Amino acid sequence: MLKYSLRRILGMIPMLFLISIVVFSLAKLMPGDALGGEIDPLNTDPEYIEEMREKLGYNDPIVVQYFDWVTGFVQGDFGQSVKYKMDVSDLILEKLPNTIFLGMMSLLITYVLALIMGIYAGRKPYTVGDHLIGGLNYLGLAIPSFVAAIFAIYFFSFQLNWFPSNGSVDIMVQEGTLDYWLSRLHHVILPAIVLGALSTASYTQFLRNDIIDNSRRDFVRTARAKGTSRSKIYNVHILRNSIIPLVTFLGFDIVSIIGGAVITETIFTYPGIGQLFVNSVSSRDYSVVMAITMMFSCLVLVGNLIADILYGIVDPRIRLD
Amino acid sequence: MNTEQASIKAPKRKNSSPWAIARRKFFHNKLAMISSVFLMTVIILSFLAPYITTVDISRVNIGETSLTPSSDHWLGTDQSGRDVFTRLLYGGRVSLTVGMSVTAIVVVFGTLIGSIAGYFGGFVDNILMRFTDFILNFPFLVFVIVLSSLLFGHVSGVWVLIAVISGLSWGGVARIVRSKILAEKENEYILAAESIGTSSAKIITRHLLPNVLSTIIVQATLLFATMIVAEAGLSYLGFGVPQEVPSWGNMLTSSRQPDVLQNKPWIWIPPGLAIVFTILSINFIGEGLKDALNPKSNR
Repeated sequence: MLKYSLRRILGMIPMLFLISIVVFSLAKLMPGDALGGEIDPLNTDPEYIEEMREKLGYNDPIVVQYFDWVTGFVQGDFGQSVKYKMDVSDLILEKLPNTIFLGMMSLLITYVLALIMGIYAGRKPYTVGDHLIGGLNYLGLAIPSFVAAIFAIYFFSFQLNWFPSNGSVDIMVQEGTLDYWLSRLHHVILPAIVLGALSTASYTQFLRNDIIDNSRRDFVRTARAKGTSRSKIYNVHILRNSIIPLVTFLGFDIVSIIGGAVITETIFTYPGIGQLFVNSVSSRDYSVVMAITMMFSCLVLVGNLIADILYGIVDPRIRLD
Repeated sequence: MNTEQASIKAPKRKNSSPWAIARRKFFHNKLAMISSVFLMTVIILSFLAPYITTVDISRVNIGETSLTPSSDHWLGTDQSGRDVFTRLLYGGRVSLTVGMSVTAIVVVFGTLIGSIAGYFGGFVDNILMRFTDFILNFPFLVFVIVLSSLLFGHVSGVWVLIAVISGLSWGGVARIVRSKILAEKENEYILAAESIGTSSAKIITRHLLPNVLSTIIVQATLLFATMIVAEAGLSYLGFGVPQEVPSWGNMLTSSRQPDVLQNKPWIWIPPGLAIVFTILSINFIGEGLKDALNPKSNR
């Protein structure tokens, strides 16, 4: 297992290298200097620009420029944002907690809803409740998240006034107080539900089918024969077996939250990494775009890695070689 | 005489080909049939849009901005005074075209890569699959946004989007086709075909692909739905089809203005529902096909 994990981690290095080349080439192909946040745009004196270009290394061979960029990147120096006039790393660090908070809340909501619905549907398959949950899941899987988000804002924010429609916190509240955290929670719930709808549906579906499968197994019959109560069989014997495989979904969740965050944060104007990315592409703030693209690519790699490794841990029958 | 009677007496079902069985199963699936009819209606209405409505879609009509639905404008008009119903039809044309083209390209390319990798194995397989993994490891949305913002302005609109989306999404199909071919090529009839000297190209196209076709068909259906969503999502964010071309995603973009979202729902609800119902119907058809093409299911 350890050997396999190590080999997978080493295998990520050429992949990261290739992705970094692609990102760098894309940035180079973009109109203007992709890394040029440091040149003062108001100073149009050709001599000054030439001097700055020389100093920033734009006249170096492309390979040298690439290695400069990669070296900086590995050391956490992502360059300067043209739009915000600050270090990209600071900018990302400022927005990152919001995205992580959103992602965590969405996972939490996913787990809670999926457990409730999955266990209910699994215990009472082919009843009205099960079909209702099945139908809801189907909608969750089929409706695109951004359409769901628009409808959610319309109904829950504008018609019913239950949730705020934008931002991550009220402007009026003091940072650090209880009100502050409640306000943040209030703002994050709607986007988190929308972001988690897809995984909630697949979790529920999986849990339901697995519980039904397990309830026909020999160990359940044995337990029943020994006189174990029905609720104990379901809550202890079966659930323990059915929940473990769900762990493997975590890796894919990381990947889907990344894609979902870009759209969801933009719709809810939630100040996180996804929104920063979309705004930066629109305003051609390339150093930010490059940094976030690299970051997301790394996260996808890590997500897939986690999924593969967890598979091996949870189900030893899967041979990892 | 006798043989004729025997053929009349024999139950028809026994002679049916696998495709006939599949067709019968599909026709008996109510949900899938209703969805097929709905999808066909949407496709026909969208592609006949120029003949159905005569309103000029690009003309801005200052006098008729943001009208509520009435008998003149069935679904009202948007903020530029354009008829929402007309735009919905034209938008469907663009969205469906993007969905279909991407699906076609992805299926052809993915099948090509997957079948070559699966059939030849070894070194070829290794190279092609590493390349596939590489493509699959890109965060899809992020790269599509970067690529299409890069290419925008250089090449004209819709086809850029189709090329970019296709280029980044063939990996899944390639993987599935490869794994199916890997299993299928172990059969003895392939050995037999090889032993009489059939060329590799012929073995792949004549013997292997027909046997994995059912998987590809189901996959293509689900891809079609995914691609419509991708187009709409990207256009909604402003990185898809150019703004002046109506598409369902572009029409939804207007809901980003709080006033439209809150007070003028007739502008964004129709494209929203059009997307939802189209995706749902495609998914139902996909499920129906999966059931119908699976010889083990007996629904």
